[in-house]
Order: sequence, then C-alpha cells, then structure tokens
Amino acid sequence: MTYTFKIQDKVFSVETEIDKEQTIVKINEKEVPVEFEKIDDNLYSVILDGKSLTIGVLKDGKKIQVFMDGDLFIIEAISERDQRKSSQELSGVQEIKSPMPSRVVKILKEIGDDVAADEGIVVVEAMKMESELKSPIEGKVTDISVAEGDAVEADTTLLVVSSE
Amino acid sequence: MFNKILIANRGEIAVRIIRACKELGATTVAVYSDADRKSLHVTLADEAYHIGGSAPSESYLVIDKIIEVAKKSGAEAIHPGFGFLSENEEFAKRCEKEKIVFIGPSAEAIRLMGDKITARKIAQDAKVPLVPGSDGAVTDVEASVVAEKIGYPVMIKASAGGGGKGMRLVRDKEDFESSLRMARSEARSSFGDDSVFVERFVEEPRHVEIQIIADTHGNTLYLFERECSIQRRHQKVIEEAPSPAISAKTRKKMGEVAVNIAKAVSYSGAGTVEFIMDQKENFYFLEMNTRVQVEHPVTEMITGFDIVKWMVRIAEGEKLPFKQKELSINGWAVECRVYAEDPETNFMPSPGMLHYVKAPSGPGIRDDSSIYSGCEITSFYDPMLSKLVVWADSREAAIDKMASALREYVVLGVKTNIGFLIRVMQNDEFRQGKLDTGFIERHQELLGPGEVDIEPAIIAAALALEDVEETQESDKAPQSNWKLLGRKAAVSGGNLV
Repeated sequence: MTYTFKIQDKVFSVETEIDKEQTIVKINEKEVPVEFEKIDDNLYSVILDGKSLTIGVLKDGKKIQVFMDGDLFIIEAISERDQRKSSQELSGVQEIKSPMPSRVVKILKEIGDDVAADEGIVVVEAMKMESELKSPIEGKVTDISVAEGDAVEADTTLLVVSSE
Repeated sequence: MFNKILIANRGEIAVRIIRACKELGATTVAVYSDADRKSLHVTLADEAYHIGGSAPSESYLVIDKIIEVAKKSGAEAIHPGFGFLSENEEFAKRCEKEKIVFIGPSAEAIRLMGDKITARKIAQDAKVPLVPGSDGAVTDVEASVVAEKIGYPVMIKASAGGGGKGMRLVRDKEDFESSLRMARSEARSSFGDDSVFVERFVEEPRHVEIQIIADTHGNTLYLFERECSIQRRHQKVIEEAPSPAISAKTRKKMGEVAVNIAKAVSYSGAGTVEFIMDQKENFYFLEMNTRVQVEHPVTEMITGFDIVKWMVRIAEGEKLPFKQKELSINGWAVECRVYAEDPETNFMPSPGMLHYVKAPSGPGIRDDSSIYSGCEITSFYDPMLSKLVVWADSREAAIDKMASALREYVVLGVKTNIGFLIRVMQNDEFRQGKLDTGFIERHQELLGPGEVDIEPAIIAAALALEDVEETQESDKAPQSNWKLLGRKAAVSGGNLV
C-alpha cells in the first residue's frame, strides 16, 4: 500500500509491503528495514536498525496521532486532491476557530487590519487560562463573528483572515 | 475513628483522599457534577451523590449542596482536598455549625491566613522575614523614600493587584518616577484603585516552601521543604524535595519560622508556609496555604509520613507521636505534573477524550492520577492529568528515574506536556539545580520536540493504517472486500472513488 503523509509541514510518500516473513517500508523511496509488532489496539513496538521504540498510535479519521518519547505528532494521511486543497488553503482564506469551549477575552484586530503569519489575533480563556490564537497566514482580517465576552463552543469560527 | 468521610472534591486529589480513608477503615462518600459522572473518584468511593452542573459554581463550590449530602449520607467528617472549598472560611464555619468535622484548620486560621495583609502582619509579629518594602500603600513621596532606603532594584505593585497588572520593575533611580506613574495608571484602569506599594525585587527567585503538620494538642512539626521553582504561567510544574539549594542551617531556620507562624494562628492539620528565596539563601515569607497541597507527595516520599492520613487522624483528635528531632530526610523525590496542554502554543489547554492511557510503574514510582483510557478531560476543570512522583536515593538518580518513567507514559487523544518534562529532566541547568522561577522563559527551546527523527513515527502510522494484525490474520480467514474498501476510503479521505 502507498500512502502520502504530512507531518510538521513536510510531505512523505510511504510504501508498505507486509507478509508473514518480513515487513518492508519505503519512505520517499528509501527502503527502511523494520520489525514491527502490535502490542494492543494502540501500542506498537517498532525496531529500526536495532533501536527499539514503543509507539502509541491513534487513528482519528484522516489524522493519525503518534505518541513517541513523550511527544504527540499529528500525521495527516492525504490524497493527491487533499494536497492540492491544502496548499490553496494556506494561501487563501483561513477561519480562526476556537480550539475548545471558551470565552473570548480580547480581539486584537479589527476588520481590514493586516496580520502577519503567526501573529496573535484573538485571546480566549478556558480552564482558568488565557490563550492567544495566532493567524496561520499573512493577510487581512475580513470578518469577525464574535465579540469580546462571548462564550463560544469548540470549533466556532471567531475571525476570518484572507490573503487574497 | 470516623465511620464515614465525605470528600468535597474531584480528580486525583479526591482519589488520593478516598484511598487514605479506606486504608484507615472509613467508608467514603463522593460528590460529583454533571461532567464527572464517569470520574474515577465516583467509581472508587463507597457512595456517590450528584450535586449539580458541570461549572464549579453549580456543584463543588455550593456549600449547601455539600452539607446536604453529608447529612443525607451520615458522613461525620468532610475532607475538602485543595482548591474549591478547601480554604473557604464560611465552609469551615458551616461544618462546625452542622456538627460535621472539617478536616483542616479552624475557620479562624483560614481567615487570618487568607487575607494577605493580615498574614503579613502575623508573620512580622512572629519574627518571620518579609521582603523589605513599604508598610502598605504609599504616596509618591513616600514611595521614592522607601525605594531609596531598601535599595534598587525595586518592584512597584498595585495594592489591589493580581495577574501581573500594575506591576513595574525599576532597576535605576532615574526610572522610578515614570514607572510609578505608569503603575498607578495601570492599577487605576485595571482595578479602579491606584494605590501602590513598593518592595525589594528578589533577583532570580527560588520558590521554597515548608510543609508543617500540627495536632490539636499543641504539637507543631515541620516536614522539611519542597522546591517548586519550575513554573509556567505562575503555576508550578515540577517540584522536588528536598531543595537542592538549601543548607541544613537555613532549612532548620526556615522550618522553625514556619512553625512559629502556624503556632501564631493556633494551626492544626497540614499546612504550607511559602517562601521566596534568593541565590544567597535569604528567604522571605510569601503566604501560608491552609490545606493539603498538590505537591504533598514529594514530602511523603522523603519522610515516609502519610500527610493525608494524618490530616484525618488529627481531625479526630489524635496526637502526633513524633518529635521534630525524630524526623529526617531520606533520599530525594521529584514530582512532575502531567497536564493536558500544548507547550508549543504557550501551554494552551488541550481538552478532549483520552483514548488511551498507559502509566509507568516500577520501584519508587508513584502516579497520583484519576485518568483512564476512555475518560474525558473537560474544559470545566484544571487540565492536570496526573502527578508522577519518583523517589531515589540521590537527586541525580531521582531525575534519571523520572526521565525514564516519563518515557513510559503514553497518552493518546490530547496534547500533553510529557515530552517537555522529559527535556527538562535532560537539561544541564536543571540537573545542576540551577533553578529559578524564570527557568521556562529562559529555555524556550525545551517547548517543542526540536529536531527529532520522525521516521519511526511515519512507519508506525503507515503500519497502523495497514493494520498488520488484520493482514496477518487474513491468511487464516477470507477478508471481506467491504473491509478493504473501507480502509482505502479512510486513507483517501472518505471517498471510495
């Protein structure tokens, strides 16, 4: 089976061949010798060149959470069509959504304001903490759908940033 | 012995208290909010009662509801844990009125220590060192006189302050006037009150605190110190006991002043006197916490003293059977708070379902938690998942044990700070004990995984999608075409075409 994965903004092509005798994995066409055991539904033992790792894996729709050495990596399984779409998204219109049920504490921009990539645009409060949400792209704020003090659910769109 | 004890709390501390009560032979009563029906504390208690909505203000903070459950269940005592009603004077009074034993200090001691200005006054009377500064709010003229007298750098703080607002650090005399003006203006706009006070700024401060325990027969002991200098957002993340920075002489002095403060308010039960300490071991009183603290396990590990059980025994009137000189420090303990949060985005909370949890174990490893595979971390409460505590015979060995234990900890479903904690354990400055409360700000490189070999992660992801077990099993049983199609669909984004 061949997969295309995106992790930490890099895209990898991965080919797997599994039979009873051996497992062969090719990453970007480079063959990687691997021994692999499934321990339970979410825990996998991977031996790479003698290096033994216990890796937690959770399949979550198109995204796969991989927990390795204390860090959680989100790996996205993407089709070619998804790849095209995602590159468009990064340069197009981005909705800034609340990652959790929260209260809008401060909106740092107004409609029409320029924003840089990674610039903070709204502050939300949840679990007794304030968190600043940042714009993933450079552009202009084209819509603000909440007001300071509003209580919002997870995934509620707060602002829209457009680079067009 | 109490026959039945109600635990007015949730999460890991409720679990910790339930276990202690059970070991002492008492029946336990849990209370829970809407969001906590499936919580571990509800499962482990002998009885459990619903007390209201998920917001703490609708459940864990409602005194009437807790008292009603205590009466209905016939609980003779209430352990408040930490947070919620644990330092609420009204609650302690109400328990007294209803003839239910409050497992903690008297309402009066809570009141005296709860008010920062009164606590400062008590500390002063008990000859406990305070950060040099003005006695309360000052005029502009007084402020500059005080600053001159105590020496720069100084801190200007809003009297009604909190959260860093209305605070100004002044290093030179020339900047004092303008900083004072700005602090006052910020204080006025934030709190509607522009009164400020001035105190000496403690450079590279360390946070050291003394655990005390007092019975109702006049015996007050100190169980040595904990150091809690690794903090983020002014909240503790890593604690250890003993402190790597304190000499035996300072330890004794700090312990004795902590006991003096406790005696000054006729304290009983477990409490903590917090100090700020500079790099020359000068220490100053910060505040007293009149409850069991999150980090109490590190003290338990180095003293062998079960603080929670003793809180219960003391509330029953039992006398402490030890003298100060019989207590000693054995080995080293480190505690890491595992949070559902993302260090890469300034520790933003990460609520959600914990699909999979595998906690470490082994000699000298204690995991105080209330999480399990399938439980949900809601946004109603603090995002702490667990307190991982280790013990070893030296600081270096304890740090190594912690790093190894953290590597065994697997949590899937939400982001956690486990990777960050591992990197702190490996950091040279941390290992050398060069700590202060600005450690995390100085070490932003520890927040993200940095350059890691992600090849194994990609392989695991691919093989998980392939589902090796299923493929291997396929030799034994014919595979359904629908199953294969379904798998392809999952990978290609839900489309079969």
